[in-house]
Amino acid sequence: MLNRLVQWARRRSPWVLHYNSGGCNGCDIEILDLLTPRYDVERLGILKEASPRHADILLCTGPVTRQSRDRLRRIYEQMPAPKWVVAVGTCATSGGVFRGSYNMLGGIDQVIPVDLYIPGCPPRPEVIIEGLARLLATIDVPEDKPPRDAAEPPAEQLKSVAADEGEASDDGD
Amino acid sequence: MDTQAILDALNDACPDHTFDAQAIPIDETVIEVPVICLKRVVACLGSGFSISHLSTITGQDTGTELELLYHFWSKGGLTLRVVLPYDDARIDSLTAVIPGADFYERELAEMLGVRLEGHPRSGLTEAEGFEHFLLPEDWRPGRPPLRKKQPPKENES
Amino acid sequence: MTRVTIPIGPQHPLLKEPLSFMLTAEGERVVDSVLRLGYVHRGIERLAEERSWVQNVHLLERVCGICSHIHTTTYCQGVEALLELEVPPRAQMIRTLMCELERIHSHLLWLGVLAENVGFTTIFMYSWRDREMVLDIMEDLSGGRIAHAVNIIGGVRIDPDAEQLDSIRRGLDKLQQQVDTLLDVVQHERSLRVRTQHVGRTTKELVRRHCVVGPVARAVGIDEDIRRDAPYAAYDRLSFKVITESGGDVWATALVRVRETSESLSLCHQILDQLDPGDVATRAGRRVPAGEVVSRAEAPRGEVIYYIRSAGTDKPARLKIRTPTLPALSLLGEQLRDIKLADVPVVLSGVDLCIACADR
Repeated sequence: MLNRLVQWARRRSPWVLHYNSGGCNGCDIEILDLLTPRYDVERLGILKEASPRHADILLCTGPVTRQSRDRLRRIYEQMPAPKWVVAVGTCATSGGVFRGSYNMLGGIDQVIPVDLYIPGCPPRPEVIIEGLARLLATIDVPEDKPPRDAAEPPAEQLKSVAADEGEASDDGD
Repeated sequence: MDTQAILDALNDACPDHTFDAQAIPIDETVIEVPVICLKRVVACLGSGFSISHLSTITGQDTGTELELLYHFWSKGGLTLRVVLPYDDARIDSLTAVIPGADFYERELAEMLGVRLEGHPRSGLTEAEGFEHFLLPEDWRPGRPPLRKKQPPKENES
Repeated sequence: MTRVTIPIGPQHPLLKEPLSFMLTAEGERVVDSVLRLGYVHRGIERLAEERSWVQNVHLLERVCGICSHIHTTTYCQGVEALLELEVPPRAQMIRTLMCELERIHSHLLWLGVLAENVGFTTIFMYSWRDREMVLDIMEDLSGGRIAHAVNIIGGVRIDPDAEQLDSIRRGLDKLQQQVDTLLDVVQHERSLRVRTQHVGRTTKELVRRHCVVGPVARAVGIDEDIRRDAPYAAYDRLSFKVITESGGDVWATALVRVRETSESLSLCHQILDQLDPGDVATRAGRRVPAGEVVSRAEAPRGEVIYYIRSAGTDKPARLKIRTPTLPALSLLGEQLRDIKLADVPVVLSGVDLCIACADR
């Protein structure tokens, strides 16, 4: 019962941590943009966290520089399992235009395992939201709740979250 | 900016060298300065012409020697060109006169392996002369990345 | 009193970018700080020597995601000077238009970050909401919200039609109202003033000693702006005021930036009115004749300098970038002395750091 509740919460309200391991700020301001009125991911239950110890998902931007490598690894290790890593932007995916530099290790997957890649330079906020939705769709859910369609429009999702909240309190009891 | 007046004053300040100005785009005056005169020239520009805004220092490896360009700004660009030999890449620090030179000088030390004499943070580590500022801590000493003889990519760490 | 060392960064809630600080505090007072850069050092100067002149436009656009257009502008005008290319007036105008839109975007972004760091989330939301309007205009013009890829060597890539210009005008008018509101808030809102007035104060002398440029210098009354002092692109055909303040605190920098935003909006209108039809680019060769150039331009944060040397090949022999954040960081060491610990985020946001620019 408790497990199901945790699973439900994880899927319905993922806590996200953002780390820039060597990017140009382009992806970073688009991620920050997710919090602001036009995109406002908090209405979808996505909360931006400041501490790795509270986070479920690590949003990584930028290629990995030599100086950032250990820091990125440490942040990943500090996150409690289960955890997911999303590489946002072309640089995080492959190293992008900075490939071949003396201070560059390449994409995020050179250092920590990546679950989802969102290419784009930088990806639009809509794309980042869609990426997160797809990632959440792959997270295991209890059998009586089949995974929802990832492309569900935000308004619908809001309604369904509200509906699920009622069920959840039943589960908790 | 009166280039001729500056040249005259510099010739007075360092009598054993004749200074000459050269123009490069975009509206930049370049004056070549011998290493030993640099401090005197900078002092003279500051006191005589209030040119003390150091925009940046460019260090470059021309393939035969190292070249430092001190870009000043005072309603117009003025660049001092200083040439250093490979085997004796040392220069006096300007931080005592212009505190803003600090970061640019550290960059010279890291990227080109120039030794800066009299810099307040110089000599903190033995290998590079400076603690690292832009390069990673595990960077192998003695391999400044902007020297041309370096391989462009360092695969081993 | 015992001294405590507080590490801040590279991953820290108050920093939007990775940079590392060691603050030494005595009780509530900060007495010293040591800075470490390099977390986003990508070695761009070296990479640029291995890429062709044209490829470098794309590389340099990614020095910084916030002021991407100014980097390509500075680079392209430098290379054009080496090639002795005459850039068509329409291209110059469009370049300038993008520069000013970018300044509006950057300043509104900054105001949001400042508001968030003083705990005034409402203004963070307001100014970022308004910033979306500029992003829409830039997207309409270039196809990209953040990376615009407008500049090419010899001109620009875009040629807006009359309909687009009209929609930009409408967007700018709407934005003007919002900026007026924001200016009113910055000037009169008590909670913002209490948090920013007399905080992070600098003097003219300190700013000069550290060779600081841009809004931070203008906030202590140093009347310098490359757009006016050494006009590039189309600035010699436009009229604008250089905004200065005398306070030198974070509040003064906020006033300078918000007023500059207003000034930029007026510049955009002037450009739209003066935009004559014509070519938007001239053809440029693949090889650049040997020579060197120092190119300067006024980014949202202050003067950007490029030194470019060509050896007559299809690649630069040296490309040096100096961004305005570097001298600001040098000054920051002085600002983070003898202040309250709680004021550190406000002081940090006051200088408008861009670590991606500083690290390269």
